[in-house]
Amino acid sequence: MSTPEVVSLDRKGAPIWGTLIGQFLKALLALAPLLVFMSIFFFAPLWAVVLDSFKSNEGNFTFANYADVFKEPIITAMRTSFGLAMVSALVSAVPGAVLAFLIESRGSDRLRQVVASISGVLANTGGVPLAFMFIASLGAEGAATGLLKAFGLDIYGAGFSLFTFWGLVLVYTYFQIPMMVIVFSPAIHGLRREWNEAARTLGATGRQFWANVGIPLLFPSFLSAFLLLFASAFSAYATARAMTNGTIALVPLMIGNLLDGNVIFDEVNLAKALAVAMIFVTLLAMVPYIVIQRRAQRWQR
Amino acid sequence: MNLKRVVAVAAASAIALSAVVAISTPSQAAINYCKATDLKTAGGLDALVKAAKKEGALNVITLPRDWANYGEAMDLFSKAFGIKINDDNPDGSSAYEIQTIKTAPAAKQPDVVDIGVSALNGVIGAGSDKLFADYKVANFAAIPSKWKSESGNWYGDYNGIIGIAYDASVSPAPTKISDLANAAYKGQVALTGDPTAGQEPFMAVYAAAIAKGGSLDNIQPGIDFFKSLKANGNFIATKATPENYVAGAYKISLTWNFNAPGMIAGAKAAGKNLKFVVPSDAVIAGTPYIQAINAKAPHCAAARLWEEFLYSENKGKTSAQLTAKDLKLTGSKLFNTILGGQNVFVSGGATPILQADMTAKKKLINGPDGFDVPKGAKVYQPSPDQQVGGKTLVSAQWPTL
Repeated sequence: MSTPEVVSLDRKGAPIWGTLIGQFLKALLALAPLLVFMSIFFFAPLWAVVLDSFKSNEGNFTFANYADVFKEPIITAMRTSFGLAMVSALVSAVPGAVLAFLIESRGSDRLRQVVASISGVLANTGGVPLAFMFIASLGAEGAATGLLKAFGLDIYGAGFSLFTFWGLVLVYTYFQIPMMVIVFSPAIHGLRREWNEAARTLGATGRQFWANVGIPLLFPSFLSAFLLLFASAFSAYATARAMTNGTIALVPLMIGNLLDGNVIFDEVNLAKALAVAMIFVTLLAMVPYIVIQRRAQRWQR
Repeated sequence: MNLKRVVAVAAASAIALSAVVAISTPSQAAINYCKATDLKTAGGLDALVKAAKKEGALNVITLPRDWANYGEAMDLFSKAFGIKINDDNPDGSSAYEIQTIKTAPAAKQPDVVDIGVSALNGVIGAGSDKLFADYKVANFAAIPSKWKSESGNWYGDYNGIIGIAYDASVSPAPTKISDLANAAYKGQVALTGDPTAGQEPFMAVYAAAIAKGGSLDNIQPGIDFFKSLKANGNFIATKATPENYVAGAYKISLTWNFNAPGMIAGAKAAGKNLKFVVPSDAVIAGTPYIQAINAKAPHCAAARLWEEFLYSENKGKTSAQLTAKDLKLTGSKLFNTILGGQNVFVSGGATPILQADMTAKKKLINGPDGFDVPKGAKVYQPSPDQQVGGKTLVSAQWPTL
């Protein structure tokens, strides 16, 4: 995305500083609305949260909030949240990618449009309504549970429960798979037919094309989509809250209780330290993506 | 127009204006209701009603209509005095109330709050800003001294006991907390929230502690009880809400008695038969909820009239019983015609803070049957300090229940 050709040079090839500064200011002017918006709604709150996370209740500087992050029950919550996000992203990303591939390569235009609209709706179904849909269908007395029972399949008798880790994973896939279809389809769409044809002309088999060209090309997009799913599951709040009553330790729920509970009132800054820890985990997850994206970019110009 | 005429007209209109002002205000200086600290400094009940009517609106916050009969309290107040009530975020928490006072713009400020005791500890301690305005309601002296600030900065309003709400279809019908371990209730027991976040489920854990040999200083048996219920599959982690109940997600929940009549009526409307029983093995009374007037209240007179209403012991008419003729009454006459707020709480199943005083004065009306403490039962009430110990244990263990 870099644009080195816009640098102004004089006849001897040295940059003209006046023009350069002018260009810089112009670029800044174009960016200004975004920068103002980001400052107000992103950087300022972020700064406030980071600052408060180092404060005790009396307002003194302390690392105690961060020390608590590594103690029980928060460390368990960190692990469970991370695990839930990873598992739900994995079980959604692979089928979602396959689905996107089938629709993009085999489907008609009409099918593509229909799937895109449906996915758009499903991917944005979340929160309490989503939890309620599942409780009403797959709860102990749910409609689907009853139907399965009528066919002789007693899922609760077999040990299934919606209100467990795996129950949450199931519910999350409901919006994660459509989200994967939406974000991954453009990548498949961008896979040029000529590349396949070129490979075939040079004698490659279908398998060779995928192993050496297709998958390496799609992998960065897959990874970025996966990260998006990870982040959305990692930070999901309302659905989990409606379905667990705090009996599964999850970081967003803990932050919610610390900030907006009726029982605990003196640990607001701990909540902010937890928020910073979540940002940190998300940033860590970005690192492999950035590395792979760099390598892949060489191909994609 | 020349200058002389302009001056003359201006002078004349100034005189006329001051004459109008002089006629419309009473002889004493206008009352600043935001500074009124009791009925006397508010110019008496008649003047307070008049001023509140003139303000025409009251901002309340986080009052669910089906909580402690607040729906009726709001309807009655609104109908009687012609004051519009704005209820911000009915299902919000005490923390939300405090945050709103601290951060909301002037027009969004609540006039009055109803908060949990643990929220109070955080805002009236040494060094905190003064969030509330001092105001002593007429019946202030009768409020037990344990549950009010001396200056009238805050005061308790009502409390309740934890009981079992259950669908009539469950068999056998539960009568005590320890019954909930019965294998017949697999996948049917739920709480109204996360006990580390809500006072109601937190007290439910206390009730389980008492039932299973614990004490107010030892909540551990309660946590262990829910752990065993989760292990045997009886306790499910869905939130006990009317929607989830109607959807069949659970059949038994532990709830405040003062929320049960509303729940039962709601269940009936949805074609369900919900019942309520006070457990025979543990009667846990919650600490009273706390009333206070916001120091930044946008409707100072209406806020004070609301408190007078909530602490009124009158036996009188409900919102449905008020006639057009009643509504023509003014000031104190109107106020004395309507059911006092303390009795509104009673008819919702709650225990009013002025119960002892009302019993002595024979002002207490009969609450709905079957929601009150059974005769002779021992009532346990965890003190705010005991709750601090309890919540430390619960918040450490609940996430890994």
